[in-house]
Amino acid sequence: MPILSLTTFLPLLGGILILFIPKERKDAIRWVGVGSTVAAFLASVYALTLFDPGLASPAPLTLQMVEKLSWIPSFGIHYFMGVDGLSLPIVLLTTLLSMAAAIYSMNIEERVKEYYFWFLLLEVGMTGVFCALDMFLFYVFWEITLVPMYFLIGIWGGPKKEYAAIKFFLFTLFGSVFMLLGMLALYFASNPHTFDMVELARSHAVFGREFQIIVFLAFYLGFAVKVPAFPFHTWLPLAHVEAPTGVSVLLAGVLLKMGVYGLLRVCYVILPAGFEWFLPFLVIIAFINIVYGALCAMAQTDMKKMVAYSSINHMGYALLGMAAISPTGFNGAAMQMITHGLITGALFILVGVIYDRAHTRDISAFGGLGAKVPVYAGIMSLTCFASLGLPGLAGFVSEFLCFLGAFPAWKLYTALSVSGILITAAFFLRMLQKVFMGPLNEKWAGLGDMNARELVSVLPLTVLTIFLGLWPRLILDIMNPTLTAMTKLFPSLFQSVR
Amino acid sequence: MTLAHYLALSAALFLIGLFGALTRRNIIGILMGIELMFNAANINLAAFNRFLHPEGIVGSAVALFVIAVAAAEIVVGLALVLAIYRSQNTVYAEDISLLKG
Amino acid sequence: MIKHVHWIALLPLIASVVILLGSRDNTEKSRLPLLGVAVMGWCLLHSLLILAGVLSGRAEVPFYRTLPWFEFGGFEMTLGVLIDGTAAFMLVVVTLVSFLVQVYSLGYMHADPRFKRYFAYLSFFSASMLGLVISSNLMALFACWELVGVSSYLLIGFWFEGDAPAYAGKKAFITTKLGDLGFFVGLLLLFAYAQTFDLKMLPLHFQMGPGHMPAWVPTAVGVLLLCGAAGKSAQVPLFVWLPDAMEGPTPVSALIHAATMVAAGVYLVARTYFIYQAAPMALEAVAWVGLITAALAATMAVAAYDIKRVLAFSTVSQLGFMMLGLGVGGYTSGLFHLTTHGCFKALLFLCAGSVIHAVHTNDMRQMGGLSKKMPETFITMLIGAFAIAGFPFLSGWFSKEAILHDVYRFSPAMWCAALATAALTAFYMFRLVFLTFLGISRDHPRWEHAGESPPVMTVPLWILAALSIFAGLALEHNGIFAGAVCFGPAAAAEGAEAVAHAPNWLAWGAVGAFALGLAAAWRLYGTGDLSLASSLKRSLAGVFDILEDRYGFDRFFLALVRASDSLAAALYWFDSNIIDAIFVDGWALATRALAEVQRFFDDFFVDGAVDGVGALTRDGGLGLSRLMAGKVQEYLLFVALAVSLFATFIMTR
Repeated sequence: MPILSLTTFLPLLGGILILFIPKERKDAIRWVGVGSTVAAFLASVYALTLFDPGLASPAPLTLQMVEKLSWIPSFGIHYFMGVDGLSLPIVLLTTLLSMAAAIYSMNIEERVKEYYFWFLLLEVGMTGVFCALDMFLFYVFWEITLVPMYFLIGIWGGPKKEYAAIKFFLFTLFGSVFMLLGMLALYFASNPHTFDMVELARSHAVFGREFQIIVFLAFYLGFAVKVPAFPFHTWLPLAHVEAPTGVSVLLAGVLLKMGVYGLLRVCYVILPAGFEWFLPFLVIIAFINIVYGALCAMAQTDMKKMVAYSSINHMGYALLGMAAISPTGFNGAAMQMITHGLITGALFILVGVIYDRAHTRDISAFGGLGAKVPVYAGIMSLTCFASLGLPGLAGFVSEFLCFLGAFPAWKLYTALSVSGILITAAFFLRMLQKVFMGPLNEKWAGLGDMNARELVSVLPLTVLTIFLGLWPRLILDIMNPTLTAMTKLFPSLFQSVR
Repeated sequence: MTLAHYLALSAALFLIGLFGALTRRNIIGILMGIELMFNAANINLAAFNRFLHPEGIVGSAVALFVIAVAAAEIVVGLALVLAIYRSQNTVYAEDISLLKG
Repeated sequence: MIKHVHWIALLPLIASVVILLGSRDNTEKSRLPLLGVAVMGWCLLHSLLILAGVLSGRAEVPFYRTLPWFEFGGFEMTLGVLIDGTAAFMLVVVTLVSFLVQVYSLGYMHADPRFKRYFAYLSFFSASMLGLVISSNLMALFACWELVGVSSYLLIGFWFEGDAPAYAGKKAFITTKLGDLGFFVGLLLLFAYAQTFDLKMLPLHFQMGPGHMPAWVPTAVGVLLLCGAAGKSAQVPLFVWLPDAMEGPTPVSALIHAATMVAAGVYLVARTYFIYQAAPMALEAVAWVGLITAALAATMAVAAYDIKRVLAFSTVSQLGFMMLGLGVGGYTSGLFHLTTHGCFKALLFLCAGSVIHAVHTNDMRQMGGLSKKMPETFITMLIGAFAIAGFPFLSGWFSKEAILHDVYRFSPAMWCAALATAALTAFYMFRLVFLTFLGISRDHPRWEHAGESPPVMTVPLWILAALSIFAGLALEHNGIFAGAVCFGPAAAAEGAEAVAHAPNWLAWGAVGAFALGLAAAWRLYGTGDLSLASSLKRSLAGVFDILEDRYGFDRFFLALVRASDSLAAALYWFDSNIIDAIFVDGWALATRALAEVQRFFDDFFVDGAVDGVGALTRDGGLGLSRLMAGKVQEYLLFVALAVSLFATFIMTR
């Protein structure tokens, strides 16, 4: 059974089904939308049961559940899907977060039909990016995510939605144009010409160092915008803030991962010499992301914007872990992707919860809500603590591994980056204090606690956050063999780092 | 009976069809004229097949194909006539000039 | 028993979750908190059995057992327990104080609307603290360390409706987190060179000598871990959070901010003592931090009027003593003080809680003469004060003696400073007791209203008082404590030798300091006439201002916070007005400007040409369109004619 295609295209099926439902029947549309995300999630869980983590070998890219069909034979383009320990957890994260976001989005009232259609199309693109192993297919999925996102922000967004949507679209397109150039360069440099990532990885030795550096930079531009790495990050706060809640969840939870994933999957495996050349800059960028992102978050008064900036900080940890080129660091970076997706996804949902009730996200507009909405306060505090890296919750393990991996290679920058943890703690605690503690602001005396829909969407993320924190094996056992094998791919390179 | 007889028959049929299509006011009449022209072509096809390539069946096959297409075409045509009648309340071709440039 | 030691940490965790989620009724009517108390009682029993096993030699120490937690690369992280004599004693201290405080809280918190949640938090705290004590692995220890910090945050801010507790909780968390950054980097450094966090493996790496790792590494690791310890154990300069932490409920202060959590820093230094042995400079840093903390905090305690703040400063000062003990090489004496201090400081806090419960204020200026109203509290508190001040043969005397011995061997100058601090300790403790219980009442309505606390609160006081009296004697007897808690056989032998070497008059020094402090306190506060005290305060106003300002440490950290806030604001401004507005939007604007130029070109030249062609076509088309009258039959005629023409043309060619 082509389980990966099933996972990827089940939402599309749902989307097409939705097109046949009259737009007045909003509930039917919602349930079909949620149902197809659930189906995709179940399919990805089934894929997990089929997956054998132990299969990783030092050969480049040991892939499983491979589907390879000829697509455009004259250009050697294949429909080539497959997963390994790096991509499978992210596929699961994608389907899980899509499900949570789809459930949360059931409160959308205007243009429900279009919303869910675009939403499901977005899920197709996101899942596809992580499964695709053919450059061309990868690029197609990559661009597929762009259009639904543009409409989702532009139609259902906040006050500055058009500006945000266009900025997001142009920024990302700017990056992906360079990526396209890089792809073509690889295609024409490989012999025989191919878009197949596995083939390209095998033939990395035939690419000269200068060539690799230039092509790396082209790819880097594409990925850095998505990560987002300083200084290509300014679309993020805007887009996250303007997007509707469900879409913010996917933006932060999944779309950012496309950048980090791309750096590992494409840049590192295919262009190791370019990667090596760029490492010193990558570390500095990671450091800036961590400290600068955290400080910018501290300056925010809007909760959602604060969470958005904290994403920049958290992706900095992933970059730092990646810059280590060690199993520890890679594990940290890969796990950071997952944990950040879970935690920040939950945070965006929670910010959405309070915004739906109070119609403001200004931190200082609240006060003393802790006694008023205890369930919400509890879950929010837990998630904030997870985000600031409290042990026992998922964020700690991944951050710790990132730092632990990076430290032997980059002592100074890692030690300096540790301060990001403190700043993160400072702004999250300040937020908790201003919103939940102190005397109750009488304006919110009528505020209700979380309802079933909100709980159902956020609880799976919370439970996983706790579970992964207590038992990180659950995910590290899947990733570790693949990532360890990846670090051993290039014995002659990265000597200075190891 | 030689090929010429068939061709003459088909030419006559074609001209009758053309005349009908050009002169009838009623659209249904025009459609009937067009049908006649189709059949003239069919006679040609069958005749050429019979006399020039008796061992092959291509001509007959194409004739059959044309008959099928003609049937489909007349269905669409009649549906259009019906639709026009409903909206314009007429079936006379000269009353309808929606395509006027 | 020792095989099941992990349950000591796990049971309270389970209890905490059950209490938190078990029932919707949050008030006193919920019976769930009793579960927490029962679990803690069981843990106390378990710990006592383990300690008995360790002391009698039936249990083999160190007891070490792990299970794999997760793997990354070729490394494996384990979760496990490592029980040695130190840990066994620490377990008893923590479970004992936890148990008594939970019992006491049943009375103290009885009217609180979040009664149940309070007990859930307490159990959670105990779970993480016990986890910290038993864990065999520095990363797991760090994890528990942070969890302890969170439960402290939750409990300090337990009455979060007030601004002050909310602020204090945050301050405590952030300040300790600042120290934890050092801890964190220390762990990274440790792992970079030793490749393990396991407390059983690590000593081997440090004993291998200079060839194994660069010489600066143990020193750096030691100093970095000290940062973490200084944060948690409220050492200079990170002690600022502890006085504010007194905003929490008083039993919490007794449990967390006196007996257990704040001792975690000392415990950390003890657990990683092998690092400090490899790095004498780091060890000396520990000693100096301890000494400075002890001295500064003791002076600040003199100027405080809030009964709990006095005790808080006293805690800081005593923690400084422990650090000092460890730092001068007195592993056993430092931990001995930790153990005894756990008893009498918990006692003092619970007594203070009893007082506060009765008079509803923390301010000693509004107390006085309470000995008649609350005799049991008075007597137990007096016992606590005697114990901490170092009255001979009470528990504090033994441990403080031991530390002073070790300090004298290390440096007589430091010994003098420590002795002065000990005198100050006696002074401020008796100042507290006298101001609270003796003399006349300075706020009569409160005095009238006051009364003795219920037995559920006083019984724990009596138990702790008994321990404060006898614990030192019992543990010192036959060197029980020193036998169980010592750092390797070499250290033990060295200790015995040191006792022999110390001059005999040394023991009198501590007693003298105690007497001096007591006498001064009696003269100034004991007689009920405070005029001398206030005139002294007036004449030393400058000094008192500095003390009440806490030597400016608070202001320093506030300035740090403000500076980072301004930095954050500046960076955000830079982000939105420079990077985003100029580079990103500017890029877009430039593109649009270029587009305008191109449009002009397009309109005039390109479009002009195109339009010309277009106009031509359009005019031609208009002419031709006359032919198209919309008559179907005309079209058909045209077609027929055209076909005929073509046919004619082809045929005639």
